[in-house]
Amino acid sequence: MNKIPTICPYCGCGCGLYLHVEDGNLTGVSPIRSHPVNKGTLCVKGWNSFEFIQHHERLKYPLIKVNGEFKRASWGEAIALIASKLTGIKRSYRPDSIAIMSSAKCTNEENYLMMKFARAVIGTNNIDHCARLCHSSTVGGLAETFGSGAMTNSISEIVSAKVLFVIGSNTTEQHPMIGMHMLDAVNRGAILIVADPRKTQISDFAHIHLRHRCGTDVVLLDSIMNVIINEGFVDIPFIRRRTENFDAFEKVILRYPPDVAEKITGVSSQDIKKAARIYAIEKRAMLFYSMGITQHITGVDNVHACANLCMLTAHIGQPMTGLNPLRGQNNVQGACDMGALPDVYSGYQKVSESDIKKKFEHLWRRRLPSRPGLTLTEMFDSILDGKIKAMYIMGENPLMSDPDVSHVKEALKKLEFLVVQDIFMSETAEFAHVVLPAATFAEKDGTFTNTERRVQKIRQAIEPVGESMPDWKIICALSKKMGYNMEYRATHEIMEEVALITPSYRGILHHRLDSNFGLQWPCHDLNHQGTPFLHRKKFTKGLGTFIPVDYIPPAEETDKRFPFLLTTGRIYFRYHTATMCQRTSTLEREYPECYAEINPKDADSLGIKGNSMMRVSSRRGSIIVRAQVTDKVPEGTIFIPFHFREASANLLTNPAVDPSAKIPEYKVCAVKIELVESKRDQKD
Amino acid sequence: MNKGMVLEKSKLSYWLRQLRKEMSLIGPMRGENSDIVFKTVENIHEIVLDCPASIPSPKEFLFPQKEKMFRYSKDGVENLRGNKGRLIFGVRSCDISAITLLDRFYGGKFVDDYYMSRRNNTIFISIGCNNPDITCFCIGLGSGPFLSSGFDIQLSDLGDRYLVEIGSKHGLEIIKDFIHLFSRPKKLDYDDQYEAILSSQARFEKRINLENARQKILSGQVNDSFWEVVAQRCFECGGCVYECPLCTCFNVIDRPYSPTDGVRLRVWDTCLFKGFTKMAGNIWPAEKKIMRTKRWYFHKLIYYPEQFGKFGCVGCGRCTITCPGRIDMATIASKIDMGDRRRKGGGG
Ligand code: SF4
Ligand code: SF4
Ligand code: SF4
Repeated sequence: MNKIPTICPYCGCGCGLYLHVEDGNLTGVSPIRSHPVNKGTLCVKGWNSFEFIQHHERLKYPLIKVNGEFKRASWGEAIALIASKLTGIKRSYRPDSIAIMSSAKCTNEENYLMMKFARAVIGTNNIDHCARLCHSSTVGGLAETFGSGAMTNSISEIVSAKVLFVIGSNTTEQHPMIGMHMLDAVNRGAILIVADPRKTQISDFAHIHLRHRCGTDVVLLDSIMNVIINEGFVDIPFIRRRTENFDAFEKVILRYPPDVAEKITGVSSQDIKKAARIYAIEKRAMLFYSMGITQHITGVDNVHACANLCMLTAHIGQPMTGLNPLRGQNNVQGACDMGALPDVYSGYQKVSESDIKKKFEHLWRRRLPSRPGLTLTEMFDSILDGKIKAMYIMGENPLMSDPDVSHVKEALKKLEFLVVQDIFMSETAEFAHVVLPAATFAEKDGTFTNTERRVQKIRQAIEPVGESMPDWKIICALSKKMGYNMEYRATHEIMEEVALITPSYRGILHHRLDSNFGLQWPCHDLNHQGTPFLHRKKFTKGLGTFIPVDYIPPAEETDKRFPFLLTTGRIYFRYHTATMCQRTSTLEREYPECYAEINPKDADSLGIKGNSMMRVSSRRGSIIVRAQVTDKVPEGTIFIPFHFREASANLLTNPAVDPSAKIPEYKVCAVKIELVESKRDQKD
Repeated sequence: MNKGMVLEKSKLSYWLRQLRKEMSLIGPMRGENSDIVFKTVENIHEIVLDCPASIPSPKEFLFPQKEKMFRYSKDGVENLRGNKGRLIFGVRSCDISAITLLDRFYGGKFVDDYYMSRRNNTIFISIGCNNPDITCFCIGLGSGPFLSSGFDIQLSDLGDRYLVEIGSKHGLEIIKDFIHLFSRPKKLDYDDQYEAILSSQARFEKRINLENARQKILSGQVNDSFWEVVAQRCFECGGCVYECPLCTCFNVIDRPYSPTDGVRLRVWDTCLFKGFTKMAGNIWPAEKKIMRTKRWYFHKLIYYPEQFGKFGCVGCGRCTITCPGRIDMATIASKIDMGDRRRKGGGG
């Protein structure tokens, strides 16, 4: 019986846990008590994170599709086929006709290799991953204002903060252990302000709960800033010394007094004023946001508004004082850091800057493309346009996660060649020509970077099941076959290369991560102890930039035909497209089927009772779900979690995207609801 | 039984090394940073005895979080219950008290074969706690810090030597071949043990009176609005149940490898999840969180005493460490207790 310390594979909190191993079998997990994030606790997903690993449905050997059916193949055959196909497509069209999806579930090392594979081996910048769907607005938005798109504080600072302003984050359910720190802070007297149209567990603890209409975040934030300016809470010295473009910003803000905002957002001007005063006066104030801010066509605007608020009050650049986007996936921060994005290399170094490109060309000994590639949301359009011919998908399931999935399905069908590398046969993998079996987090070494920029080691606990292989080994084998030698004996050698070429990771080497639960980037050299909070004394980009933002209504508003707003999200017991938790008995059992939350008043008017089946339709599709009548959602709005294969909420969602970040608007679309009469009366 | 012996500290590792030849030896070892975890002992000198409570409880050795029960195929059924000989060294008194109760639960009217098979092949060497953790409250419950019975072998740390008490047949077994290592205890040894007990008792941070809490609940002084507030804080992580040495919920699942063969597993479950009592026809008897939260406390504070004459809590303090909502047994029981005193106007 051994206990291997590693990191939870689910969310961006990055909790430490032990995997219990006996004779090659996983027998359980337990929390790491001295870990700074979880301190001896885990959420239900962490507690059950061992079960899917040795599940009998794991992919155990490579599969090649022959005449529409998957046939078992050897690694040699599969790799040779992929290499020849990709090389062929690259030659007969051009490198840019290949697109690559990297993965926020994989390690930093693997993401780095994948982007190296895309750029050096294939020769395209068409690489992206699911951060596009959750926080691309943060990465882009904060780069423009602060110069760095990550949580500015550390999780352990939360408990000592005085004001917590949480906007668009269902924290206790989606980042449970951060939620724990927040409740601890409230126990110690902190004031909690929550802005969320839905009632959530964290809003139950809020001193002020602002229930604004979906999609009106900009108005809410602008009006809060309006109060701060009008009542003289602005930190003038800070604005003079450390920021630029205040005047243009102020002009816009003056258009959003609280009484105007009240009409648009539905939040009383009194509450807006109260929230503004409380947030502005207290110095140790932390602002948190998540998908409720980012997943809009105005995602970048929303992020800018949050950043403006922090600068206006000088709530940035100090411990317990800052702006904190909560990243969803266990390693979405790391996948971004490693440059699994179409426009940057690792450490957000731009592909379009020739000095940087040259640096990478020297290291990798290949000519590299300089034009930024396609984003994930653009990739599928380009397939249908005939520009993309082949796709390589590592550990992602776009057929469940992307908006308007019928469109995605059509695209996948049209591909000449599709490779999917995953741990289970996912919905997407069904469409692949070759499926490669990857190893899970328990079967490999590497690092994950959590939402507070902490780079932490994961450690191999068992041998990979069947013939599955760690993703990094697969990429190396394929590269080699395609004539580009990638040779690493172990993951620490990959990290060494990352450190060499990435300024913010320069001091991050595996042997330094063994004690004290890793290091937080930026970490500039081998003696640097990591950076618990960002933007001390100056912003990463020098001066912070105020970017004025005006209100733009959601891309799709309600009308006579589609009178309800649909907002989507995750639920605590499930995770994303559920490939892992579907295979975890406890998690699967709690929410076996999809449901929709609907306000009692709306339900009444439609004749819907708890447990009735209702048909929800948008301009794109329609699904049938069970009604859950609850005042968690405000009138006129319904909520559907997106994890369910049978009733995929993303059949309904609007693929309209933010113009710069290309993040889809998951949080708002217009739908209509009809009661589905059942043949027999539903028993309650 | 309870016979006493004395073992010089310098002889401990020799003794364990001999025992390890017969069984696998599991003990408290360094985990990450300051953590202590129970795992197979590679180097005996690395055992850490003076340590805070371990997470999870040693019930994992008798009732693992995931356990294969049997394999079925065309050829029949193969029982996979665990029966490896194991010596678990350095377990705490509260956990031994818990195992005594678990034995009654799993070995009572319905004998749980899987538990019993492991139990009969496991020997525990426990150690009295000279330094209770800040979360411990066994002291009010008679389940620690030192025990007078129920253990296989109990060590008391007397500085340069251990007082070794033998409490069961199993315990005697692992001593009798090595009797030359031990010496007869003198009065001084018992005096020193008593001194250790006294000093340990003085170090407890927490005194929780579960009996008071029970009385308050039974006399109807705790209403639903109290439980509502408690339940509101529950994250539904299941940690309190997973960690508790006395919680026994499990779920049974099948892993069909093919239509004709597969494995049946059981995994830890918790009554705090609404799906735990889900019934056919989409019926969820405990859909409201408050019902489940309340039931957990009622089980431990009311039903356990009715069934076994003891609380379903030994005061190990693990739920205090592991509950993200801070609604652990110690906190809630003392709230129930104190809340009432305040109403009467009395002081703490
Ligand atoms: S909070 Fe996140 S990282 Fe922690 S146990 Fe839960 S899913 Fe895992
Ligand atoms: S209820 Fe809590 S303190 Fe009591 S035995 Fe269980 S885990 Fe330990
Ligand atoms: S440990 Fe706390 S939060 Fe988790 S299930 Fe138990 S009572 Fe709820």
